[in-house]
Amino acid sequence: MKMVSRQNPFQERPVGLSLDLMFLLMLTIFLFPLGKASAQDKLVVGEVEEIVLKPWDVRLPARIDTGAATSSLDARGLTVKNNTAEFRLSKKYGSLLLRLPVIGWQKVRSADFKERRPVVEITFCLGPKLIHTQVTLNDRSTVSYPLIIGRNVLRDNFVVDCVNSNCLPPSCPEVPSQ
Amino acid sequence: MFSLSVLASFFLFIPEMISAEEKVTIGTVEDVILLPWRVKLPARIDTGAAKSSLDARGLRVHEDRVEFKLPQKYGGTHLFLPIIDWRHVRTPEGLERRPIVELEICLGSRRFHTLVNLTDRSMVKYPLILGRNFLKENFVVDVKRRRTAKPDCSDTLDEENSEEHPRPIH
Repeated sequence: MKMVSRQNPFQERPVGLSLDLMFLLMLTIFLFPLGKASAQDKLVVGEVEEIVLKPWDVRLPARIDTGAATSSLDARGLTVKNNTAEFRLSKKYGSLLLRLPVIGWQKVRSADFKERRPVVEITFCLGPKLIHTQVTLNDRSTVSYPLIIGRNVLRDNFVVDCVNSNCLPPSCPEVPSQ
Repeated sequence: MFSLSVLASFFLFIPEMISAEEKVTIGTVEDVILLPWRVKLPARIDTGAAKSSLDARGLRVHEDRVEFKLPQKYGGTHLFLPIIDWRHVRTPEGLERRPIVELEICLGSRRFHTLVNLTDRSMVKYPLILGRNFLKENFVVDVKRRRTAKPDCSDTLDEENSEEHPRPIH
């Protein structure tokens, strides 16, 4: 019986071919995303990315800085009273007045003076991710970006590819598109 | 026929693999070897720095050349290099002028020529900062990693005296 069925090549062939094609298709469908996942389970960010500060929906450009251990926010006119930090975002970004609880202090060794900077928690949207993180506050009017995203945020979520800027526009579900 | 499809899918994979592996993923700190002196230094991989910089102690400028020492911790090698350019840097103390020199370093199994500015960075933990000018074309940074690649350029060290050999400088 087996011999007979083998003797029928003209009928077998199309079936064999389509099976082969299916196998190929399955390979490409299943294996490609796998290969990608291992390299890209982390999102790729560029040297500068736009973020949306929640819940105020303020858009800020952020410098992605693997040299910074923690993230930091440019806080103008910073005062701390009763463990609450009060400051404004720079004029360029709407001078929004913020009052946030101080959850700690960070000692910073600058070139020749020691400084203590308040640490607060902020939430922002970077790409599709809503990130809740600690940032140190300081008046950084000399620096070109209002937010520095350091290793504390990058570690678990992102890899940095320096050739590009703004490769991951904010797309958290609740962020209005612009 | 089966093997044909395996072969075909193998070929289909190749473009994918190349695009993923064009750039090497490195960590937040990597060991590099300074050539031709073969001094091993830990380098901070810093996307926040526009240009790379090297901790240069006792820096002295002689017309178009600069003389300095690496930190004692890394052997205190005495270097005398041509100044390629100057860079003006804003620091908390005001404007500073720093000489820029060209270095050859080995990272992983590859050699790179790169421009670094020289500055006394005795306050800072790492003697070499590799900034965006170096990272741009070649690397992706994953800060969860550290020391992902042991520097070993022994394969290429023989072509040492190829001075006229043009190489890209970042």
